[in-house]
Amino acid sequence: MEMKFDGEFSVAIPRQEAFELLSDPQKFAPLLPTFHSMEMKDEKTANLKVKVGIGRIYGVASTELTLEAAEAPLRAEYVGRGKVMGGAYNMIAAFDLEDAGDETLIRWSGETQIYGKVLSLAGGSMRGYAEAEINRLIGSLQLALSSEAEAAAILAARAAQPQGLWQKLLALLGLWSPPEVPVLASEPEPQEKPALRLLAKPPTRKVLKADEAPSTLGKIAAADSIEMDRKGSESWVGSPLRRKEDSRLVRGNGLFVDDLQTSDMLHLAMVRSPYAHARILSIDVSEAQALPGVITTLTGAEIAAVMEPYMQIGPEPGASIQDYPMAVDKAIYQGEPVVAVIAETPRIAADAAELVEVDYEVLEAVMSVEAAAEDKSILHPGSGTNKVWEGVYEYGDLDAAFAEAAHIVKIDRLHFHRFSSTPLETNGCVASWDNRGEIEFFSTNTFPTIGMQMMAPALGVSIDKIRCRSHDIGGSFGNKITSYPGMTIAALASRKVGGQQVKWIETRNENLLAGGHGGERTFLDTEVALDANGVITAVRSRHLDDCGAFPRYEPLGCVIWSQVLPGSLKVRNLRIDFRQYATNKCPAVPNRGYSRLQHLWFMERVLDICGHQLGIPTDEMRRRNYIDEFPYTTPNGCVYDSGDYHQMLDTAKALIGWDDWKEKQRQAREEGRWLGIGIGTTLDSGTNNFGQAQIVNPDAPFSGNSEVCTLKIDIDGSIVASLGTVPSGQGHETATAQVVADELGLGPDLVHVRPGTDTARNSHTGHSGTYASQFAVTGLGAVHGAAVKLKKEILRLGAHALQAEEEELEFGMGEMGAQLTVPGTEKAIPFMYLANIVNTNNAGLPDELDDVSLNVRYVFRPKFELPDLEKKYGNLTLTYAAQVHIAVVEVDKYTCQPRILGYAVVDDCGKQINPKIVEGQVHGATAHGIGAAIMENYLYDEGGNLMTSSFSDYTPITALNMPDLTCASQESPSPFTFNGAKGCGEGGGAPLHTISAAVQDALVAEGVIVGDTFNSATAIFELLHGKGSRSSVEHQSLAG
Amino acid sequence: MSETKPEFVEAVDIEITVNGKSYQRSVEPRMLLVEFLREELRLTGTHIGCDTSYCGACTIRLDGDAVKSCTLFAVQADGAKVATVEGLATEAGLHPLQKAFSEHHGLQCGYCTPGMLMSASALLDEIPNPSDKDIKKRIAGNVCRCTGYQNIIKSVHAAANELREA
Ligand code: FES
Ligand code: FES
Repeated sequence: MEMKFDGEFSVAIPRQEAFELLSDPQKFAPLLPTFHSMEMKDEKTANLKVKVGIGRIYGVASTELTLEAAEAPLRAEYVGRGKVMGGAYNMIAAFDLEDAGDETLIRWSGETQIYGKVLSLAGGSMRGYAEAEINRLIGSLQLALSSEAEAAAILAARAAQPQGLWQKLLALLGLWSPPEVPVLASEPEPQEKPALRLLAKPPTRKVLKADEAPSTLGKIAAADSIEMDRKGSESWVGSPLRRKEDSRLVRGNGLFVDDLQTSDMLHLAMVRSPYAHARILSIDVSEAQALPGVITTLTGAEIAAVMEPYMQIGPEPGASIQDYPMAVDKAIYQGEPVVAVIAETPRIAADAAELVEVDYEVLEAVMSVEAAAEDKSILHPGSGTNKVWEGVYEYGDLDAAFAEAAHIVKIDRLHFHRFSSTPLETNGCVASWDNRGEIEFFSTNTFPTIGMQMMAPALGVSIDKIRCRSHDIGGSFGNKITSYPGMTIAALASRKVGGQQVKWIETRNENLLAGGHGGERTFLDTEVALDANGVITAVRSRHLDDCGAFPRYEPLGCVIWSQVLPGSLKVRNLRIDFRQYATNKCPAVPNRGYSRLQHLWFMERVLDICGHQLGIPTDEMRRRNYIDEFPYTTPNGCVYDSGDYHQMLDTAKALIGWDDWKEKQRQAREEGRWLGIGIGTTLDSGTNNFGQAQIVNPDAPFSGNSEVCTLKIDIDGSIVASLGTVPSGQGHETATAQVVADELGLGPDLVHVRPGTDTARNSHTGHSGTYASQFAVTGLGAVHGAAVKLKKEILRLGAHALQAEEEELEFGMGEMGAQLTVPGTEKAIPFMYLANIVNTNNAGLPDELDDVSLNVRYVFRPKFELPDLEKKYGNLTLTYAAQVHIAVVEVDKYTCQPRILGYAVVDDCGKQINPKIVEGQVHGATAHGIGAAIMENYLYDEGGNLMTSSFSDYTPITALNMPDLTCASQESPSPFTFNGAKGCGEGGGAPLHTISAAVQDALVAEGVIVGDTFNSATAIFELLHGKGSRSSVEHQSLAG
Repeated sequence: MSETKPEFVEAVDIEITVNGKSYQRSVEPRMLLVEFLREELRLTGTHIGCDTSYCGACTIRLDGDAVKSCTLFAVQADGAKVATVEGLATEAGLHPLQKAFSEHHGLQCGYCTPGMLMSASALLDEIPNPSDKDIKKRIAGNVCRCTGYQNIIKSVHAAANELREA
């Protein structure tokens, strides 16, 4: 919006005199009605301070006033720019002088733009205010150029009227009243600053100045800072920016679920089953309820009476499982909730939980898939079997491949152990279910939209009645996806107590017992066909997956592994007979690398075992077997988008110093030491096609994928993004700001990304969440789409406002922040002003802009087709990041302790949005894998007792155990994503393959096969001494 | 040998100075120091990650020493001076450790960070020029599940450099 004014007045002085005054900024500036002080920047430009005031608070604003043109004695032209209280103005004023007898006629024209928050106060009557501003300037001018008598008359007339923008506004709001004159009798205002008189009385309270502000306020102001140095990168995307999130987190100002506290909040403690499989005979809560401070208790029977079991994702027989959040008739894993106690403090709740008496009849625990398959003891009576799902994945011509094979290698059994990434923050929530029927969660759940799809039908409420929020989450790694049963219990507890907030926070012990374990898998009867060169031509095997007590999310694990069916290998003939069983262990949950890392470990183990049998070195085995053309369509129709595995292997070998280590290994072997070098190649498939759920269950209502970003320019011009994702440390706020900043030509500091999630923001679909390595693609796809959409609106509105063509407009930064300009002209409009137009100041907006809101919601949907369900064929994932790891491991001959002597990592996740964040993900995933390979194991005894139920037994890897990593990365941009990026969060469990391979290489002379992912000192000792199960391998050489 | 039922015990009056400010409270004798900080003082920067004194998320400084505040009762800290993460930054800005953690991406979810920072600050007070090994040893009691420690070690070195140059 531009406003133009003009007029003329005469003064009784000669033209030259008038010109001298008008063309000298030093003389002219003090005439401005709100003049306070000035400093000359150069001859033509004055840095002015002008006073502005609202009510009792007044301040000083800076303005730059430049004499743009002066043509003696005909013309003077000024340009002014300034900022005031959340608003700003541009002004142009020109004076043309003409002789008119003794007098001088001054024709003036003025043009002004005012924008910012102030406009929201002013409503549609902005023109009046602008007019007033200009009139006041002209008034002052007239005054300065007039005789004293005239001046006095002008002043007297003016004092009774509100003057200037601010006072006009206040007058409108009824907050301004004419001042008592004189205001400061002892300090009469000099006449050239008449406006000062109107600033009412001095403030009685101390005015808060930024530099005097208490430190806490200062800290809050700095809380959202982000680095503004691109470090050589051309765009914000691609630069290793420090994260926006950090400033609150390093101060301890994060808001994790347990940090939410209110004075009347109640606390929930669970009574959990001490048995893996036991019938509940009776429950006595009377003593617990009698404890002062206890509000109520909740049992499984009470819960089952008011809710339906959760939906099962899988088909029969799994579909018949009755899944409640609490044990009803019997408990089926150690740690299953049996009773909840709700009390005034967490300590009273824990005490009371101890007082609950439960009588159990212990039943036979099913502690392995092999035992489960026998169906002697059945967990879920409704389904009549422990089998949850079965299906055969067969591709190519197995019979022909085996008939033509030069070598056949058979491996009887391999086993992938149970572990999880155990986020440092456990599961929890604050839940309320109020008397208006609104359910609200502040939780750690990282895929709340699926949780809501589970809970809403089970609780008989519409999904909109459930609101899920989070702010900061202390890691998830997939584990927190399935915290909805605990959330349901907390919500029901709240309902029982009348709607008060109920907080449920797992202890670490509870988390290890019942917070979710990564899936365990056993690979039986594997047969591998190879040609004479050691190229694998066929693999067939039976995979038995152990999903623990409930499948919950888990039937999806029965297909997700097939995203990486051949691993990194060219093999075209595969047959995997896949079955999933329920056992009396903690329910399995997605865990970093979910379902793929089990399979990738299997394929890598197969490759290395075959290499050992055929006497082909591990690096050479990979050379011969790696996929080397991209995009590559796998036998089951997945498309590996890009990569260069050979190059990665070369880089990894260089990083570790391959030849040196080979030499050291030779020496070590001479000395009788066990030194091994192992390679692991892994894939991190990202952005699921949920259509694969239909391979598990043709009736599953899922396919494709989607994510949402809502992006707006808020009323005051702030740029605000709301995501559908639920970050737990991955830096989504930062990456989002980078993408938006590039698209809108501004700095990432100006993009406020709302932390965490909130379904009330209306920025989610049923796929929204943080899982499956997809933020860089789906999350940022949504962000990018929203930014493009918003940009279009900005251009349309900007073109109208500046009376220019959209093509002429340029994005950039001005004094008032992000703005649109028409290059080569003075025309500029800050976003702040555009926001004002649509939000609070829209009178007169033309019809064709009716759909412009500067508040856009974009749903990103990657292009996927439904797979062929019959053939189990189709593209299941959009991107395939890859990593090659090499580890050097020495196994101590006496203690069997594996020690990692060197560790190299090469990753390729396509275009990196923020290399710092990518590096962090690579390090983190590597640490999880190394921890899992040598330290972390959920170990059950035969009776179903978890032997590793504290961090002292389930020992998460520490700084001392973690080797120094040598890292490198390469970028093979994905041709299938808008930004060339690939998901990179999971790392594909590479250390599991790598360490298994290295330990195998170390022990090669001992004639043992490393057949398990877990290779702690004890595990290696048992392997060497024939305890526990051992894999045996048979090699038939058929070639002539 | 008369009573065995759980009983409520009298609250105990304590005075603890936290980040330079003195607090007087009556607390249950079994209230842990970490609970006192989080619930009584609402200083929720100090986190809880385990129940076996293993993870270090609760690390604070007690009269200068880095200690796990889940391993002490609040009453044991009576009269002591406690420093928590909330006290690290000053009017002048972030502590060099806080800056370095952000600069070198020494944090992801930030859950371990407060404890990590307190352990590291105690280390740097004692050993201004620590080796990798010194750092690893001193943060071996602080579990981080996100970063793989690589960048934490880098961050501590960077902060040590800055503090020495200051
Ligand atoms: S909470 Fe104190 S050491 Fe884990
Ligand atoms: S940053 Fe998440 S636990 Fe350390």
